Amino acid sequence: MKILYGMQRPDEGEIRVEGTPVGFRTPADAIAAGIGMVHQHFMLADNLTVLENVVLGSEPRRGGLALDFAAARKKIKEISDAYGLGVRPDVPVEDLGVGDRQRVEILKVLYRGARILILDEPTAVLVPHEVEELFDNLRGLVREGLTILFISHKLDEVLRVADEITVIRRGTTVATVGPKDVTSRKLAELMVGSELPSPETRESTVTDVVALSVRDLTVRTGDGRPVVENVSFDIHKGEVLGIAGVEGNGQAELVEAIMGMRPCEVGALTLGGADISHWSTLKRRAGGIGYIPEDRHRHGLLLESPLWENRILGHQTRRPNVKGPWIDRSGARADTRRIVEEYDVRTPGIDVDAATLSGGNQQKLIVGREMSGDPVLLIASHPTRGVDIGAQAAIWDHLRTARAAGLAVLLISADLDELIGLSDTLKVILRGRIVADVDPANATPEQLGSAMTGAGEGV
Amino acid sequence: MNGFVDRLLGRVRLGGWLGVAAPVIAVVFAVLITSGVLLVAGKDPIEAFTTLADYGTQPRSMAMILNTGVMYYISALAVAVGFRMNLFNIGVDGQYRLAAVVAAAVGGAAVVPGVLNIVLVVVSAVVVGALWAAIAGLLRVYRGVSEVISTIMLNAIATGLGAWLVSEHFGVLTGNDLGTRPIPDDAHMPGIPLIAGTPVLVNGFIVVAVLLGIAYWLVLNRTRFGFELRATGKSETAAVASGVSVKKMIVVTMVMSGAVAGLIGMPELLGASYKYSNNFPAGLGFTGIAIALLGRNNPVGMAVGALLWSFLENSSNQLQLLDISKEIVQIMQGVIVLSVIIAYELVHRYRIVAEQRRVSRELAAPAEPPKAEAAV
Amino acid sequence: MAAAACGGGDDASTTTEASAGASSAPAAAQAKVGLAYDIGGRGDGSFNDAAAAGLDKAVSELKVEKKELEATAGETDAQKEERLRLLASGGYNPVIAVGFAYSAPVAKVAAEFPDVKFAIVDDDAAKGDNITNLMFAEEQGSFLVGVAAALKSEKGNVGFVGGVDVPLIHKFEAGFEAGAKAVKPDIKLQSKYLTQPPDFSGFGDPAKGKTAAQGMYDAGADVVYQAAGGSGAGVFEAAKAAKATAIGVDSDQAALPAYADFKDVIITSMIKKVDVAVFDFLQSYSTGAVKAGPAIYDLKAGGVDYSTTGGKVDDIKSKIDEYKQKIINGEITVPTS
Repeated sequence: MKILYGMQRPDEGEIRVEGTPVGFRTPADAIAAGIGMVHQHFMLADNLTVLENVVLGSEPRRGGLALDFAAARKKIKEISDAYGLGVRPDVPVEDLGVGDRQRVEILKVLYRGARILILDEPTAVLVPHEVEELFDNLRGLVREGLTILFISHKLDEVLRVADEITVIRRGTTVATVGPKDVTSRKLAELMVGSELPSPETRESTVTDVVALSVRDLTVRTGDGRPVVENVSFDIHKGEVLGIAGVEGNGQAELVEAIMGMRPCEVGALTLGGADISHWSTLKRRAGGIGYIPEDRHRHGLLLESPLWENRILGHQTRRPNVKGPWIDRSGARADTRRIVEEYDVRTPGIDVDAATLSGGNQQKLIVGREMSGDPVLLIASHPTRGVDIGAQAAIWDHLRTARAAGLAVLLISADLDELIGLSDTLKVILRGRIVADVDPANATPEQLGSAMTGAGEGV
Repeated sequence: MNGFVDRLLGRVRLGGWLGVAAPVIAVVFAVLITSGVLLVAGKDPIEAFTTLADYGTQPRSMAMILNTGVMYYISALAVAVGFRMNLFNIGVDGQYRLAAVVAAAVGGAAVVPGVLNIVLVVVSAVVVGALWAAIAGLLRVYRGVSEVISTIMLNAIATGLGAWLVSEHFGVLTGNDLGTRPIPDDAHMPGIPLIAGTPVLVNGFIVVAVLLGIAYWLVLNRTRFGFELRATGKSETAAVASGVSVKKMIVVTMVMSGAVAGLIGMPELLGASYKYSNNFPAGLGFTGIAIALLGRNNPVGMAVGALLWSFLENSSNQLQLLDISKEIVQIMQGVIVLSVIIAYELVHRYRIVAEQRRVSRELAAPAEPPKAEAAV
Repeated sequence: MAAAACGGGDDASTTTEASAGASSAPAAAQAKVGLAYDIGGRGDGSFNDAAAAGLDKAVSELKVEKKELEATAGETDAQKEERLRLLASGGYNPVIAVGFAYSAPVAKVAAEFPDVKFAIVDDDAAKGDNITNLMFAEEQGSFLVGVAAALKSEKGNVGFVGGVDVPLIHKFEAGFEAGAKAVKPDIKLQSKYLTQPPDFSGFGDPAKGKTAAQGMYDAGADVVYQAAGGSGAGVFEAAKAAKATAIGVDSDQAALPAYADFKDVIITSMIKKVDVAVFDFLQSYSTGAVKAGPAIYDLKAGGVDYSTTGGKVDDIKSKIDEYKQKIINGEITVPTS
């Protein structure tokens, strides 16, 4: 998607627009080729009017300098009428609702002459009747001969609006189907992958001792909408609890709430029997929670710091990194060498910046770090995302070994192989709620996929 | 973009000879540009630079340069504390001026004798600077007000408040100058005959400045607090995930920055003017920003930057004797800051490419052991 | 010539204190005059320029050599001292410091160079056998333009815009107020200072001057007196826009080419003859008649006055001159604060 809009360049392959091969270096190139993008997050200036927002960056000129607003207003009216968008040019954007703003975004793109529209998760911010209006608008655009690329996780919407559906999983095209030929269930299978991973036959290491107990955890957004709602579970020592779900269904918020990074309402939150609901993130970490974050660049590493300083990150209160208020350089450096050794982090040394390592090696460093200091609980969010096969296997091995030694693991992943292969217990999260318990030993990806996407609801 | 700001503020290290290459390139570049300007103005650049070199090597000028440099250095340190964690304390200027007003009044009141009075003056300056900066920190944490905006506004308020305190409460009129009551002789900071061959004494606060520089380095690089501060500066999200309380860090860092800022006026107050008057040097806080950029927040780099800045500033009289406008000094200072930024960026890009090559080369080697061994 | 002077400077600056006692003997002719400006320097359109005018006159009439050095913003007293020292040790004699900011530095450096004559403008705190203090009775001149303002004001409402809130400018305000009230005891006076020290931008920011004056005209003033250096141009602009009048300061501003656009709104100016003072000092130096201590430039001495360029105060000139005579006679004592 970013490649199509010229924000990134492809390593190989070719893009053709109306049969002509094109190469985009900037979004301007893409716009020139007639490709426009409507972002998930609106890019509008609140205090300007619709007209001003639309012309911003491609203002119509008259006689060199003067802005020709009259011409722009006329053109906007024309476009708006032609596609039935119903946009009023002179209203300030701040007075508009979400649906109206989205139409302004679409008009903005059309105004620049786009014939191909990319819509990135356009319905994520809309309420149901706004979704209906959007779909009506989109059908209108298609009737006028425009091409629309509609990106969404929501299967029912895709089925309703699309003429052709392409399923992409892990960056690869899995299938291209027509909406008449598939059911929502079938589409879900395509999305999550139907090949059954070889289940690990292994004895359970689950004990009776509860490591982490969560009761009635709710996280709300700034405007009070719950993104995680009444989630409860226990993780025992030696148990891997997997949370399955399509991304964006509250997993990230759940993890951040447990880590104390995000305010939440919780009935009870105990770690090894101690109430940790009022603990700071640092205290929770020191209390034995290891954390492999979903986005290692944003949350896991200081990219422009050397590896040994990254070893300290999140563990800055504990030996061997500190002695009292002082950083123990030699201790931290020695321990970084240990991690590099034990976790097979491929690096020329511990003084290179974390940014110079490959994703897999960065991740192994994080796993090594979070396994240090004998954690009671490990929260692993997408621990093998963007990691090469070798590193993936190594990370899985480390998780299994630690589990056997009594570590409790909360595993969040979108990868079914990983979830089914590693988990002792599996829960499915959808729209912030736990909607199903699945036994990983008997689970089929079809079941899991249906539950994850909500396609199985009511069936 | 963010990466560029990180590099600009020196949160990214440049090791070895590369760290030296950038400033050298920058100074050479600045000399070239300034020569061009001088030629266009019809002056002889060689004569100008010879005069500068001559001036800079005389013991008397060296003492002068150190004396102004001390203030610049403390100012740069105050700014750099904030810079290291992405806090732009533009309010150093107001913080030190207000601190100097109050400290001068406290010192002039002479409630305690001698050395005790010096200590009292310094402590009150530190407290006032810290409190004034804390306002911006608290506004940022509890009201989300950008510290850039709030500190700029607080500068204006500090000016008004300082003028009001002097004119309404502490002021004594001497001729046409209004100032605080002078601090008694027994509470003057003694000078140090540091440079041989000149009777000009070096301000005693040079010791304080050196100690501050060492403390700055130790706290930032060797303590847990410093680690958390730098981590927050490099990646606020990673710091949050690591259990750093960013709110607390913002307030504490602003307070520290303000406390150091409080000291900026002390060399002048306790070592030269002994009172705060309308002639008290203003604008040192902004000089500090330039020097922090120049020295990339490195304690040694900023010391060099402060001395260079002070040297140029002090040499403006010499240039004027050659009928060269003093503005040429400002051009030179500006060009040096700009070229340092550009030079560091270039050197940094070179380093990234070089390091990535090195990493991939060294990692590729073990994959083919026979070849690697042959190469060794 | 400059190079030679520079060479001299180099020698002397290495042995400054040592050579202090054996400085160059005062020469009757061919004096080398050193002049140190306050911030703003030559070209500030205000009192630095007035000093420069006096120096230029001396160069052409007394055939002296000159060297001018300017101050930089935010400098310390030590740097000001160094500037004076550089001039004194470089063989410049006499040395003139412009502005009260040089008070402490002049006192200190004059003591180091007893054979060099120093003069300082606007300061009487620096005392010494070789220091001449060129002092002006700004309040007396301001009194006269205050009289003019009160007589010219139809609404009984006048304004004062001061550049920076410092004691020196308070003298302008005090005199102006006393003069206006002497004519109309119930006159309304609006007063505003553009900046507070140590922010001296109020002496060089026309935009600030314009805003302040606009406010006064809007609030009913019809004559505004400005003592705001370079910011004064903004006051004149506001006067022109409001179709009201203003009073200039320091020089006869209605006659200055730089203010040609505003000569219709400038009814008079309070003239502070820094140029005369500087020239007088240099002339007395060339005749060997320099006197240490304060040289008072008041109405009596003709050091301050009001201007009549443009003829806008011709109708009230006799009244103003009446007050002028009373001040000179000592019948009226003008307050300074």
